Amino acid sequence: MRAFFILFGKELRSFFLSPLAYVVMALFTFLNGWLFISMVKAMQLQVSSRSLIYNLFSSGWFWMGYFILFPLITMRLFAEERKMGTIEGLLTAPVRTAEVVLAKYAATVVVYVVIVAPVFLFFPLFQAVTGEEAAFHTGAVWGSAMGLFLVGLFNVAIGTLASALTTNQLIAAMLTFVFVMLHYFLGFLQNFGMVPGSAWTAGMAYFSTTEHIQSLSEGLIDSRPVIYYLSFSIVLLAFTHLIVESRKWRV
Amino acid sequence: MIEARNLTKRYAGRTAVDAVSFEVGKGEIVGFLGPNGAGKSTTLRMLTCFLSASEGTATVAGYDIYEDSIEVRRRVGYMPENVPLYPDMRVDEYLRFRARIKGLGWRATRFAVGEAMDICSLAEVEKKMISTLSKGYKQRVGLADALVNKPELLILDEPTNGLDPNQIRQSRELIKRLGERHTILISTHILSEVEMTCGRVIIIDRGHIRASDSPQNLIRRLRKPGSVILELKGSVEPAKAKIEGIDGVKEVSVIHERGAWVSFAITTDPLVDVREDLFALVQREKWSIRELASRAASLEDAFVDILQQSPATTPGASEESPALNLEESITAEDLDESALVARDEEGTKSNPVDPAV
Repeated sequence: MRAFFILFGKELRSFFLSPLAYVVMALFTFLNGWLFISMVKAMQLQVSSRSLIYNLFSSGWFWMGYFILFPLITMRLFAEERKMGTIEGLLTAPVRTAEVVLAKYAATVVVYVVIVAPVFLFFPLFQAVTGEEAAFHTGAVWGSAMGLFLVGLFNVAIGTLASALTTNQLIAAMLTFVFVMLHYFLGFLQNFGMVPGSAWTAGMAYFSTTEHIQSLSEGLIDSRPVIYYLSFSIVLLAFTHLIVESRKWRV
Repeated sequence: MIEARNLTKRYAGRTAVDAVSFEVGKGEIVGFLGPNGAGKSTTLRMLTCFLSASEGTATVAGYDIYEDSIEVRRRVGYMPENVPLYPDMRVDEYLRFRARIKGLGWRATRFAVGEAMDICSLAEVEKKMISTLSKGYKQRVGLADALVNKPELLILDEPTNGLDPNQIRQSRELIKRLGERHTILISTHILSEVEMTCGRVIIIDRGHIRASDSPQNLIRRLRKPGSVILELKGSVEPAKAKIEGIDGVKEVSVIHERGAWVSFAITTDPLVDVREDLFALVQREKWSIRELASRAASLEDAFVDILQQSPATTPGASEESPALNLEESITAEDLDESALVARDEEGTKSNPVDPAV
């Protein structure tokens, strides 16, 4: 556990001492700020039965920017260490591989939270500026924040695994992006050409990130997505551990 | 300190290390010697628990490298080949980080990092980014990292690789000093380094151990006759005939003629010193001489000799030269400095001597 905190600190530090975190954070916040304003304008023109939060997180624009985040913050985790050879010094120190994997993962999750958190400042800021009555519940804000956190846990785990698979950061980034998108589209499959009401459709609905977020952004906390994202994150990290340890397999 | 038994590493279709067994005692400085690709790094990586052995095992400080990997790693300071470091960290910061993950507490870390920087003379670059350091400094940071938690065993993979001659000499002295406190296993292909620092040498080639002994014993074991160089002013043939007349001289050949000066390579029976007789001859004949020296065999000769005895020939070795011929060629070539360099570059390619010269 001791080594975990030391490694966690080192990872965080190397994130926030490099310009990458700040550039990503600035661009992401700018993009979503713009999107937020557009949403507000759109809702002025056209009456919507949904809340601002629901509309923001249902917009394809939001997800586009959102999914580019993960390759950027996860690609260097293992790929860079393996490329530079520093992994050799790291894994010959008296630390457990699990501590290394978890420290890198946890630090990246923190970075993810720091990057995404400003989006949730938009809502109180909007109210403070306009002085309008809340057009949404606090529960909806918390619910969608929780949803994004869970999806983040899952996607960062995908990126961590991809980064452990290769020594090339670009390949790691592309793998992450493809898998993150594939998982997202899995939830849309029910919309294409399948008989409504079939077992398939119902099954696929469980994978639908959009649906999870939508129900959470209405303030409805369902335990199923919580368990879904947490358990898959654990499985992905277990795979990462396996990959990093694979050099020690007796073959 | 290290006890390796049948350590084997197989990669897909290739055996990098083949049933290697050796021991390193406490307090020893052992040189791990071999040509490139001999399996040195792979063996060290297994000992430091970075790779696992396909077969066999080893204990380090009494702990099994597979079963008690963490305990082994606590006791080993390892400097990997090419010294990988985090370029975006400062020297002191990097060493503090390394000391911490090696299990030192806050206070111990401050003290240990200071000490390691002292030993490796890093004070002047303490606050510099590692990416801006020269190769020599990076090497020293790597060494400071390896010894920061005062491990019982230091494993250094080619620590002087890529340094200039002056830096090599400095690091040699440093390693010698470290040998007073640590057991050291050091891999290298620079022979003079081993000859000067190591009490024992393990020679490995294509995954097999070829020899394990002190440098002195390896040289002594060398099946190589003694040789003397004599450079005199005079004509070749009569002088040659007279030298051949001395008891114990096996063969006389000409290394080079420069103007009136002729340089002879005199091969003698093993362990026979003909220098006194030669001097008497020179006095009798009233020759002018400007060199009379015996050439001691070096670890390099022993190394080349041992590798050539290996069962399978290296690709560079010429097929048509039988062992006897090779041996002659070593003797004659070694006498000539330039040929020595040339041989280094060409591997074990032989150049048989024409006895008629």
